[in-house]
Amino acid sequence: MSIADQALTEDLASRDDMIVCTGVSKWFDDFQALKGVDVTVKDREVMVVLGPSGSGKSTLIRCINRLEVHQEGSIFVDGIELTNDTRNIERIRSEVGMVFQQFNLFPHLSVIDNVTLAPVWVRKKSKVEAEQKAIELLERVGIPEQAQKYPGQLSGGQQQRVAIARSLAMEPKIMLFDEPTSALDPEMIAEVLDVMKDLARGGMTMMVVTHEMGFAREVADRLVFMESGEVVEVGTPEHFFTNPREDRTKLFLSQIL
Amino acid sequence: MSQTSSSSAIHYGTTKPPLWRNVAVLKWCAQLAVLLGVLAVFWFLIAEARTNLAAKSIPVGYDWLDNPANFQLGEGIQTVDTPERSLTMSRALWVGMVNTLRIAALGIIFSTLLGVLVGISRLSKNFVAQRFSSAYVEGLRNIPVLVQIILWLAILGSLGKLTPDTGPIPGWVIVSQKGISLPRVFLADGFYQFAALMLVFVVGIVAVRRQLKRRQDRDGGDLRIGLWTFVLFVISAAIAWLINPIMAFLGPIFGAIEDAWGAVPQGAMQLLLCVIAVVGVITWIRKFLDSKRSPAGLAKLTDDDWFRMIFSVFVGVVAVFVVVRGWPGLSSWIINSGSDFWGVLGDKFGDGRGAKPLDAMRPTLTEGRFVNFGDTGLTLTVFYASIFLGLVFYTSAFIAEVVRGGILAVPSGQSEAAAALGLTRAQALRKVVLPQAFRVIMPPLGNQYLNITKNTSLGIAVGFSEIVQVGQTVYNKNSQTLAVFSIYMIFYLSCSLSISSVVNTINRRLAIVER
Repeated sequence: MSIADQALTEDLASRDDMIVCTGVSKWFDDFQALKGVDVTVKDREVMVVLGPSGSGKSTLIRCINRLEVHQEGSIFVDGIELTNDTRNIERIRSEVGMVFQQFNLFPHLSVIDNVTLAPVWVRKKSKVEAEQKAIELLERVGIPEQAQKYPGQLSGGQQQRVAIARSLAMEPKIMLFDEPTSALDPEMIAEVLDVMKDLARGGMTMMVVTHEMGFAREVADRLVFMESGEVVEVGTPEHFFTNPREDRTKLFLSQIL
Repeated sequence: MSQTSSSSAIHYGTTKPPLWRNVAVLKWCAQLAVLLGVLAVFWFLIAEARTNLAAKSIPVGYDWLDNPANFQLGEGIQTVDTPERSLTMSRALWVGMVNTLRIAALGIIFSTLLGVLVGISRLSKNFVAQRFSSAYVEGLRNIPVLVQIILWLAILGSLGKLTPDTGPIPGWVIVSQKGISLPRVFLADGFYQFAALMLVFVVGIVAVRRQLKRRQDRDGGDLRIGLWTFVLFVISAAIAWLINPIMAFLGPIFGAIEDAWGAVPQGAMQLLLCVIAVVGVITWIRKFLDSKRSPAGLAKLTDDDWFRMIFSVFVGVVAVFVVVRGWPGLSSWIINSGSDFWGVLGDKFGDGRGAKPLDAMRPTLTEGRFVNFGDTGLTLTVFYASIFLGLVFYTSAFIAEVVRGGILAVPSGQSEAAAALGLTRAQALRKVVLPQAFRVIMPPLGNQYLNITKNTSLGIAVGFSEIVQVGQTVYNKNSQTLAVFSIYMIFYLSCSLSISSVVNTINRRLAIVER
């Protein structure tokens, strides 16, 4: 372990836990998608989840804001346990933002209404305040001039940036990204990754499922490699890309790089 | 490449094709040919029917509409000849139309409510609700609606006999094999003053509401706007109930308008109508041209566009001709009926009106049946009830499927995104899923509305006096089958077109903007 890695590990150990998954298991009928996953994400950490398709990475981050229900183990988000208690689910969801592969913008609402919907209805903000904040966020993701347009009128990259702004409008402590660039044309991937890098620099706690190795190497504090529902290896980018421990990790990286 | 094309001297569009190969000319000829063809077919059919009917000495025409009906109707706004108003053939048909519309309108409202409820609960995670609504849909949509209607009649007919002591509350609420009767609330003399006063109050309430809404948008939070609106409405209704006679001053004002309207000379009215026709045509053409205009300038007009504009000018000319020469009575009719309208309104506000806006009449019985005209309660006859229940349950099963399909058509990512943002299930349904589902639901829902309207003609099976049943009685009496059927067709066509146009308008409003 290099000196830089050591320093990072010590720094992370001193921070608060934001997401703690312990022995999380999940079945779809008789197929086990997650097999006792243990993952901890620290405050202000960027955690990238790698793995072949079907390895359970999306299922894992969808469990963290209860879009999927885990059946065994425990998940704590910012100290709140995710159980059947609807109040806990509501509190966690309003602290955790999520960006999807397919954007999932609301096509019947204009861009600005997409961004203000949750602040007005969940946070009970005034419309004027929510709109000011929305314009600020759209400026931050670089598309203030599209505020009055509808999602169908935007390019994929612009839609995904609106989706990020929509999540940020709830002022989340944690952002989950589920393959945010996989549905984009190559020339639009960079604009979305730039926004994400910007967020990471701003100190957002992030958990990102992606196949963008350049992003992982540059931005991630730690990487998790998953396969068939299990965590195979956790480590820093340097560790992963220079000297992975497990054979399965080596095989995957040799295929993807 | 550019060199070769300029040197080979091919200039597109310079050679004129002969007329019989020119697409533009051929299109015009086709338009005219279709128009003439349709007119010719109609002309032929009408002439043929006339000669044949004349040969069999069956009279054709609508003169019989003013003849006395000489039959009774089962129910409706007028069922028998009365001293105030005789029951003519046309009046009888009108009563039938009103009965049809009553069933159709109530049927549309109730089948929609029931259908939406069942459709949503078929998708619910609640096992009992889901199974029950599945059974509801499968059971009801697989039995012919006619069978269901007759079944309801049989069920309702097996209720107790109608006597003066029939309850649950004798004299007030009566349930029997002749139907269900409740006290009828009606508009009493003071109603118009009350309504005018309420109009003033409502304007005030709307202003208050707008103010509250503005404040809520500015400061956030929940000011309970709906609750406040309701409270204010109830309070002002109570006040208006007590002080409504103060509005009697409107009577003389309406009287003055009546006189002024009546004094309009016929020529002026004709001129006004012509101006309306001309302005209408000009506005239509301007709007049409505007719709063809883009920031880049006016788009090239196609032959079809020219045809539309020429046709609208033609319609305008015909309208002017009708007003001036064809039917001069139209303008005097408008003057007279307009004047009458204000006169009637003036009378409603006249002196000596009672202060009670609403009053109630109790059910009245004669010889084991309800009196269904005059001073009596609100009666739901078994015939009305059976056709109504049959249609509502049958149609609601289809509407439930339409609603279910519409909700399923919204991608699951939409409700996931809403949930991830922290919206509750109810908020997600209301703000995200239903607005998008509505877009899918609306066209097939319109079809169901058309179906329920047309299926009201099944009332003939249980003897409910809707338009088809009344019409049948009419042509059995006077053999005017064709004339009666033409009335059916015009009536159903105008109902269906009205429903379609409402549905289409809503569809346009709901369209999602893309590109």
